[in-house]
Order: sequence, then structure tokens, then C-alpha cells
Amino acid sequence: MRLTSSAPTPVQQPETDELVDVDLPWDVLVWDDPVNLMSYVVFVFRQVFGFSDEVAQKLMLEVHERGRALVASEPREQAERYVQQLHGFGLHATMQRST
Amino acid sequence: MSRTFRRHGRAIRATFGEGELELLRSLRDQLREALASPDPDDPVIKRLFPPAVLGDPEAEREMRALLVDDLLASRLAGLDALVGLLDRGTLHRGSVRIDLVDDEPMLVLGVLNDVRLAIGARIDIEALDRGSVTDDDPVSYRLALMDHLGWWQEQLLSIMGPGLDREIGTDLAAEDDPIGGPGEDRGDR
Repeated sequence: MRLTSSAPTPVQQPETDELVDVDLPWDVLVWDDPVNLMSYVVFVFRQVFGFSDEVAQKLMLEVHERGRALVASEPREQAERYVQQLHGFGLHATMQRST
Repeated sequence: MSRTFRRHGRAIRATFGEGELELLRSLRDQLREALASPDPDDPVIKRLFPPAVLGDPEAEREMRALLVDDLLASRLAGLDALVGLLDRGTLHRGSVRIDLVDDEPMLVLGVLNDVRLAIGARIDIEALDRGSVTDDDPVSYRLALMDHLGWWQEQLLSIMGPGLDREIGTDLAAEDDPIGGPGEDRGDR
């Protein structure tokens, strides 16, 4: 192994930051709305996330009663895919950096 | 009220009155028109393409750039496919019968939902107090329309079951177990 003066130590720092940033999860939230049927929301949750009926029902009720529910916490790309799918089904979904 | 959608062997059979079919075509055409040249200030467009990212305007811009074109294209494709599907209907005793197979029930379910969302956006349903709507208010008709299409959605949902669009023809959506069956066994996920 050869350590040269051009060893890119300073360059590695931002790369590390970027990796950490990429790995930080994003929360996917679904918001209540007056149009989507409860049974439809359950169906969509099962389709998109593969949830059991029980889990899908529980999350749907959370959306209905509390106005929103956290349905996934994933790396950015996966969160984006979920939001896109949910929007395709007409659900009001958003993503935000997990806190 | 007799059912509009029922299971029929491998298919889901839709039976529309001719008036219902005309209505569905007209609602489809209205949505197609709104999507053909989408106006960002149109409440229908706002509702069907809502903000995706909170707390990060740059990420929201990036996401919209990726998302909106895809979503728009798939919605337009769905609406166009619906026309072909409705044209396939055959007349039986004054009703139009269409057998839906493969991913077609899912397509119909999605269009019905988009149409209901669009009607809801037009009457600003988020701010609407249903109790204050009188029978002679045009909004009352729109609400009745949404309820009617919602009833169709409920019928479809009760016989589709999750993932059934890929497995239609099996009996896993028996009437007494509408969303049961081996739905967890999905290798494509």
C-alpha cells in the first residue's frame, strides 16, 4: 500500500456526509380527506405496502380519526416510490425527513 | 338496488343502465379534458397532483419534476383504456354488460376514484358543510353522484381483494370473505 500526498482525505469527508444523508429515513404520511372511501384506503394500503388486512385497517382508522398516519419510514428513493404510488391511487400522501 | 358489479366466473361483470353508461362516459370526458391541458390553478389538478414533500422546497421541486409527468401519463392512459372497455359493452335487456378481466377491475376502480376526487375538488368538498346543502342546490346533485360512484367502488372492492387483479379467476374473493384469501403471498414485492 502506498500513501501518496494526494491521498484524498479531505474529499472523503463530504462523501461520508452524503452517505449518511442518503441513509437517513424519510417518513411517508397519509392525510385524511373527505372523498376516499375507508374500504378503498385499506385496499390501497394492502396493494402498495403488502400490509395484512389488520394492519391496513388500523392505519386507515388512524388516518380517519387523527387526520393522518405514518405509513412508512424509508430511504428517500423508496419513500418517493411509495408517495408516487399513493398519489396514483389518489391518496393524499406526503414525505418529510424523519425527525 | 341491484348490483352494478358482480363476480362472473373469471371476470367481474359490470351491468350499466344506458343512462349510467352515458354518465360515466361524460364524467370520463370531463376529467380527460381537465388533464389534457392541466392548469396548475385548477382545483382538480391540485387535488390529483398534490404536494409530495413537506419541509423541503427543493426536494419538492425535484419530486414534482419526476412525479407529475408520470402520474399524468398513467391517468390519461387509464382514461383512454376505459373508453375501449366501455365500447366493448353488449346490450342485454336494456342494460349494457361488460366483463372485466385481468387488471380491468383495478382500472375501473381507479378511474371511479379519480372522477370522485375531481367532483369533490370542483365543489370544494374540503370546506363544504353537507348539512347546509339544500336539495335544489346543484351541489346536491354532485354529492349524490359521488355517493353513487362510491357505491360502485364499494361493490368492486368487496369482490376484488388485494392483488386479485393479478390472480383473477381464483375464488379467493369469495362473497363471505371479501378481502381475505392468500393475499400475503405476493412474490412480486
